[in-house]
Amino acid sequence: MKVTRRDLLVWSAGAAAGLLATPVPWKVLDDVSIWSQNWPWIPQPTRGPVEVKQSFCTLCPKACGLRVRMANGWAVGVAGSSTHPISRGALCPLAFAAHQLNWHPQRLRNVRHGSSLSTWAEAQSAFAKASKEGPVVVIDGYSGRAASSVLETFAGKQGGSYRVVATPELRAFTPYEQWTGIPAASLGYDFENARTIVSFGAPLLDGWGTPGRLTRLWAESGAGLSDPQLRLIQIDSSLSRTAARAWQWIEIREGSESALASGLAGALLEQNLVPAHSPVPSMTLAESSAQAGLSVERIRELARLVVAKTPALVVARDDDPAIAALNVLLGSLGNRGGIVPHSEGVKPYVAAESAIGNARAVLIDASVPWEFVPQVEAEIFRFAAWDGGATKADWLLPAPGFLEDLTDLPTAPGCSAQTYGVAPALVKATIEVQSAAQFLCSLDASLPTTAKIIDSRCEDLFRRREGNLYGQQIAAIDKVSSVQSFKEQLWKGAVWAGEASLSKAFACHLKEWPAQTRPVSAETWATQWKPVVMPPLASKLYQESGLREPPRRNA
Amino acid sequence: MSARYGMVIDVDRCTGCGACMMACAAENNVPALPQATARTGLTPLLVRKVSNGNNGETRREAFIPIMCMHCEHDTPCVKVCPQQAVEVDEATGIVMQMAQRCLGCRYCMTACPYHARYFNWWDPAWPPGMEKSLNPGVAVRMRGVVEKCNLCHARLHSAKEKAAVAGKREIDPADYVPACVEACSTNAIHFGDLGDANDPVSKEAHSPQAFRLLARLGTEPKLYYKSNEAWVRALAEPNSPQASEVQRG
Repeated sequence: MKVTRRDLLVWSAGAAAGLLATPVPWKVLDDVSIWSQNWPWIPQPTRGPVEVKQSFCTLCPKACGLRVRMANGWAVGVAGSSTHPISRGALCPLAFAAHQLNWHPQRLRNVRHGSSLSTWAEAQSAFAKASKEGPVVVIDGYSGRAASSVLETFAGKQGGSYRVVATPELRAFTPYEQWTGIPAASLGYDFENARTIVSFGAPLLDGWGTPGRLTRLWAESGAGLSDPQLRLIQIDSSLSRTAARAWQWIEIREGSESALASGLAGALLEQNLVPAHSPVPSMTLAESSAQAGLSVERIRELARLVVAKTPALVVARDDDPAIAALNVLLGSLGNRGGIVPHSEGVKPYVAAESAIGNARAVLIDASVPWEFVPQVEAEIFRFAAWDGGATKADWLLPAPGFLEDLTDLPTAPGCSAQTYGVAPALVKATIEVQSAAQFLCSLDASLPTTAKIIDSRCEDLFRRREGNLYGQQIAAIDKVSSVQSFKEQLWKGAVWAGEASLSKAFACHLKEWPAQTRPVSAETWATQWKPVVMPPLASKLYQESGLREPPRRNA
Repeated sequence: MSARYGMVIDVDRCTGCGACMMACAAENNVPALPQATARTGLTPLLVRKVSNGNNGETRREAFIPIMCMHCEHDTPCVKVCPQQAVEVDEATGIVMQMAQRCLGCRYCMTACPYHARYFNWWDPAWPPGMEKSLNPGVAVRMRGVVEKCNLCHARLHSAKEKAAVAGKREIDPADYVPACVEACSTNAIHFGDLGDANDPVSKEAHSPQAFRLLARLGTEPKLYYKSNEAWVRALAEPNSPQASEVQRG
């Protein structure tokens, strides 16, 4: 029998049709699907012994205590450290995925000059040349660190200036600095002894201050109760997350916080709820009522509510002097449950926003928020761990990422007690990075290194013999046997905390009620909650849950 | 070891920060895939926003974390699974999902009255190098399987190992705390043994302010919620007028 081409085609078609009637193709399809689920390029976690190290979050100046799980030298998990006296085991949501940030696609991996790649040697020579030619302005976003001291010393020696981009929490203390002479960075809120907290738009339950300090306090003594021990009154133009959970939400018109503060002061004085010798606002109650959109009677009622449970403390979102003046009226300055000084010897900072003048170059530390752009015509050297997009910087210099660099952690803004911690470099950087302080030290060998400054700060603290050391256990500093032991414990993640000065009265020179300031922008920093990069998990979860959508505004 | 692990979530304390979601996802190696959407993403723990439906200053909002409720009776997902990939662990009461057995049919997702189950539509992937930051205690789930909250079972394993090394049969309760409980900055999520009448969580679950979502279905969820506000408690009843105001996001 002769097999023709036609026969072959018929048999092939028949075989193919017959095969479909058997389980073979379906089984092959199923198996391929299953095999491909576990192909070698599917990522697998690092294997290795897991150890837990104590450290601190270095993403912002709030300095929360961390427990970092490590495997094979990499951070594989982050949780709050319950032994930290301020953060008390709580962290902001971002910190839980902060260990992933070092591999973020926007990680700055190379030195960049303009739009082209460059080298560290070229950057150093360009900076050395610029610093010989004229003054250099050094800008820091996290003052008080050992690295800040290096930056400040360099600026002083070079004939330039050292500026700070302060957090909103720190800026809120600047009116008190003007009235009392006490530096803003030395002041803090004594929330623990306050009974009424009046917030003018400050997102107190939404990442404001050290997360955990106020949220834990609120949860323990205020949450969900009709007459809580701690009353939180939120004055806000929208139903923010803090307003939603506050004891009372007072809805006002956008940007009328300053006017309401004046009206509230007028109502307090009118009803003799505060001493009569206090400065009187020029704005009448009726004017305040018209601007804030609250009735006069409602403002009077609010005034009675504020003093119904004392001590009462007013918290501003920013540096609005009219809101700050309410604390003077209420007698909250230098008293329990008010605004108290926590440390001495802190120098007032010069705000980076003030006029810079002539500068040949500007050096920006990695701690400065990405959106800050110096308003000066100078060569800009910007350090950053992550690339936030379009920038005016001439030089972009890759800085250490999360837990990749040794740093110390001074008192967080708003704390009522002085604290100090040391965060060693727990993980190694996978790219060539330098901090601004290291960069300057490599140019000028006479500058003290960060490690040396931290060492001497530890010794100074030990010599003071004050406060407690919060490590595995809480120990009074005079129970610590030696300075070496003190240093070792700090380097292992213990935190030193001083005592709060709760009744250190200080003179306040507020003679006249402050003039009304510019209206506060409608964009609150809760809605603008955008760090330069978010951990990919945060972007994903907030997108899928809608939790970071702007708060509801009523028509 | 015999326990009935469960939770009581104090809704009045929840500020909706999302730290629990983040800690849960990081602990359980949940990938952040750019192509995922609100419908296709993996959120074993999802915080939802609800309101009392009012406007103006009388409007109130609250946040309710939703996850697997670990139903004890006639567990819907267990009943429909053709692969025995879901089972209620008798020793702990945890509803376990075994990815290796899962066929990906998604019957369990349809059966779950709480929409607390998620399907892996894509291969798990992270930006280059980020796999070094994954939790070594939890295996990465493959494409084509369902996943959900398993009360951080890897932590229970670690606690058991620790107890075994110390020659003990029972774990120290302090050694087994799920990631969301640990992360909550207001201590709104309480975790414990509902089977132990002396456990504070068991006592809380029996308080008049405690309630369970869709309790009328009779699946005996082991996740309780608690609130002093009547409108929040009313949300547990799907036919209440307040419940119709529930809004997501």
